[in-house]
This record gives sequence, C-alpha cells and structure tokens, in this order.
Amino acid sequence: MPEEMLVAKGVEAGYPNKQILFGVDFSVGRSEVVALLGANGSGKSTALNTISGFVRPLAGSIRFDGAEIAGMPPHQIFRRGVIQVSQARDLFPDMTVEENLLLGAWVRGGETATLLEGLYRSFPRLAERKTQMVRLMSGGEQQMVAIGRALMGRPKILLLDEPSGGLAPTFVNEIAAIIATLKKTGIAMVIIEQNIKLALSVADRFLILRDGRVTQRHDISAGAADEKEIVRSIYL
Amino acid sequence: MRPRASPVLRPAGFDPHGAGPVLALFPQLVVSGIATGMLYALIALSMTVGYRATTVVNFGHGDMVMAGAYAVFVLLGSGMPFLPAMVLALALLFAFGVLTQRVFMQPIIAGPHLSLAIMALSIGYAVRGGARLEWGSEVTTLTRPYPQDAFMVGSVVFTTDDLVISGVVLGLLLALFVVFHLTPIGRLIQAIFQSQRGAALVGINVHAFHGMMWGAGAALGAAGGVLLALIVPLSPDMGVWTLLRGFAAMTLGGFGSLHGAVIGGLLLGIMEKLLGFYVSTVFIDITAYLVTILVLLIRPSGLFGRQASIRV
Repeated sequence: MPEEMLVAKGVEAGYPNKQILFGVDFSVGRSEVVALLGANGSGKSTALNTISGFVRPLAGSIRFDGAEIAGMPPHQIFRRGVIQVSQARDLFPDMTVEENLLLGAWVRGGETATLLEGLYRSFPRLAERKTQMVRLMSGGEQQMVAIGRALMGRPKILLLDEPSGGLAPTFVNEIAAIIATLKKTGIAMVIIEQNIKLALSVADRFLILRDGRVTQRHDISAGAADEKEIVRSIYL
Repeated sequence: MRPRASPVLRPAGFDPHGAGPVLALFPQLVVSGIATGMLYALIALSMTVGYRATTVVNFGHGDMVMAGAYAVFVLLGSGMPFLPAMVLALALLFAFGVLTQRVFMQPIIAGPHLSLAIMALSIGYAVRGGARLEWGSEVTTLTRPYPQDAFMVGSVVFTTDDLVISGVVLGLLLALFVVFHLTPIGRLIQAIFQSQRGAALVGINVHAFHGMMWGAGAALGAAGGVLLALIVPLSPDMGVWTLLRGFAAMTLGGFGSLHGAVIGGLLLGIMEKLLGFYVSTVFIDITAYLVTILVLLIRPSGLFGRQASIRV
C-alpha cells in the first residue's frame, strides 16, 4: 500500500439529534483511489462531508499529510489541498463556465492561466462553452465544470460525491473517462458512487458502509471483485 | 416622522385655487419623491446586502441607521468636521455590524428562524435603549455642512437637501456597482451570494464573509441615517421609521435583489408624495405599510425577486 495520505480513525459524526457515523476507520494512500460504497443513508456523504469540514465530527481523528484536520472549518481544510466535488455540484449558476473555474483557483492561487489552459486541453467541451452561463448547461456538463473547478484548486486529494449521479448514460461514460484520466495523473481520490461498475473501474480499494459502520474492505489489486456479491453486501 | 419642510417656492403661474395646480405639481412631487426615495433606496440596499449574505432579515437594522446618525452627532460635538466624522461613523458602524454578526448571530445561525429574528430585534432594542439612556426623548438636529437653499429649474423646485442626498446616494450606488461588477472582489461577493456552499467548496471562509457583509450593511445604513438626519430631527426612535421604509422598499423591489431594493426605494418615495398630495396626507405615513401588505399578497417575490424561502 502506498504511503498513507489521509487517515480516519474512529470517526463518529452526524447531525443534531441524529448520529450517522459510528467509529469509521479508513485510509487513502498517495495516488490511491478509494471507493466508498453503500446504500442510501449508510453514511457515505456524511463521511465525505466530515473529511471536508462541512460536518463536525463528534469523536475520532482525521489526519491529512500528518496533521489533524478533524473539526477544522471547510476553508482551512481546502487550503491543505483536500477538495470536494459535492453531489449537488454547488456551482455559481449565474456565472460563466470560465468564471466558475477561475473561482476554483481563487484561494490556492498558482499559475491560473496555465492551470486553465491545461484544464481546457483535458476538457475540450469546457473550452467550447467557457462563456456560457452554468445554469443553462446540462447536468453532465455541469458535473464537468464542478470537477474542473475542483481541479483549479490544485487538489492533493479529490473527494467525489456521486459524480455520475442523475446523468444520462453518455455522460456517465464521459465522467468515468475523466476520472480514469485523473487517476493516471496521480491525484488521490475518495469516490462515492451508486454506479458500482464505474467505481470498481477506477478504484484501487473499496469499503462498504452500512448504518454508519465499515462492514467490508476489499483490495481490488488483490483480486477481482464480484459485482453481484458487492451488491448483495450493500443491499441485503 | 416627516422630513422638515423645504423653503416654500411656488412655480411661475402657480394658482392654488385653479384646476391647473393639481397637474402642475406632478413633476414637483416626482422630484421630491425621488429625493426621498433615494434615501429609502440606500436603506433598503443596506438591508439587502446583509440579507443576501446570511438570508436573515435584520429587524434591528433601523437602529443601526439611527446609531450612524448619532455617531456623527457625537463626533461633530467633539469638534470634528462633518466629512471625517461621517467616515469615522461609517467605520464604527461597520465594526459594530461585523461584531454583532460574529458574536450574536453566527452562534445561532443554524437555529430556528424565530430565534434569529428575535436576536436581531433584541440587538436593535438594546442599541435604541442605549441611545435613550443618553438622549432620552430629547430631539436634536444635525447641522448641515452646506447652506440650506432652494432654486428652480423650470417649474420644479430643487432644494440643496434634495441634491446632496441624491448626489451622495448616487455616488454610493455607483461605487457599489463598480465594486460588484468590475472588481475581482465583487465577482467573489456575487459568487457567494449565488451559492454559499459553492463558495465554501472553493475555500472561501463563508462565516467571515457573513460578518463582513453585516458590517457593510450597517455602514451603508449608517450613511442613510446621516443623510436622513439632515432633513429630520434626531431621535432614538427614528430606527422604526427607517426599518419600515427599508422593509417596504425591499419587499416592493423583491427580497434579495440589489437593484430591486434601489428601484423599490425610489418607487416608494414617489408613491408617498403622490398619494400624500392627491389622495390624503395620511398616505405619507401609511404608504409603506400598504405597499408591504399589497406586494406580499399579490406578488410576494416583488418586482425583481426570485421565489425563495427566506429566514426572518
């Protein structure tokens, strides 16, 4: 296993009057892709939101690059390079594609023009639509903007919450190709996906969450995962 | 509370007993309404800035307006010239707005809407109580830093008050337009207004932004208070009057719409003058209530607002 970059230990988290996570442990190595699988309500999104600071943990530890980040506000966690693409995308709807992308680089800075140029090379569709208002775009295109905006922040680790959720099949394939390309660039990722085929095609390891607890861990490189068995583990 | 009477100048050919005056005064009423409406626009805009940032209507905002006027009054009393006194008062109110949001509102921001409304109202009452302790029911005035005069353009009378208020408000609106639309920080503010979660996802400290916007709202409101104090007597209760006008202008323009607040304020000012003259002087005091009631009943989103849930 590669050097550990993100380590969560005994994480308990939730919302007022409703605890969702009960002692979740997992780690992500450098350049590694870990998929969190589970049924609706199993705590996948809460786990991601706890890492990125949107949900305050009740107990446990989350270390990133050796530093404790549990309980930090989202903007401080972002500055360390932990960047999330949310399920709802949360774009700036009345701004153009390019304005959205540039705002992604606002805080962490860097060579913005070079970043943008590189992004447009990887996402030619965004280059074609760079002056279009985001609210006028399809769900798949918006998802590309959301991923592009996160990449403009130069993430060390990318947290993807249901990147293919609600998209037409052609876009699902396109998003899967983008994630596969990102993996080749060496960005570590935690990915939540209902589309198990997509998740397994990019992940090095996967965990199954059930009622806020990790019930299974599987290293894909150690042996091919049986998709039907995974579905049974998640839902039955 | 009504603006002090302007010097009486009658347009050429004005005959108070003829049928002509009714229509002849129309342009005059519109001009006076625009000057008053500018003030309402500024106050509504200052409320909108805070509301857009936090989606909480600050029911204590009128007292921030009052505090701004009193701050200038105190600083003038210490011998400071008008302009530096106004700048310092705005800075003080900015700091007070930031502090209020961070210390009192932020800790309960996820709580019930009613708690936020009561907190904002209570802060306003506390500020008002402080002003009453010092000045009681004493009515004071701000001395104008310019000569009070009036002159005519065609058949319309312009007062220096009208021109100063309109000029300052236009200047502030222009400055805000430039900041919002032509600067990187303005793009950032617009982005946060559009999606706070999105802003947090790109690493913006949204809580700090809430405080800054409440501060900006308080400072803009204070500017409105200072201008208002040029034409009405100062009293600790002037916040109630301003809050109602600001609220009505916001409602008319559409909650959350910055340009809606400005247009709503202008329309409210003009309506007050026209209804007050052509129907009954009672309308000068009740137009704001009527506008609020009618807009909420007929078109809750106002002229430019979008359908959205609001936190009171």
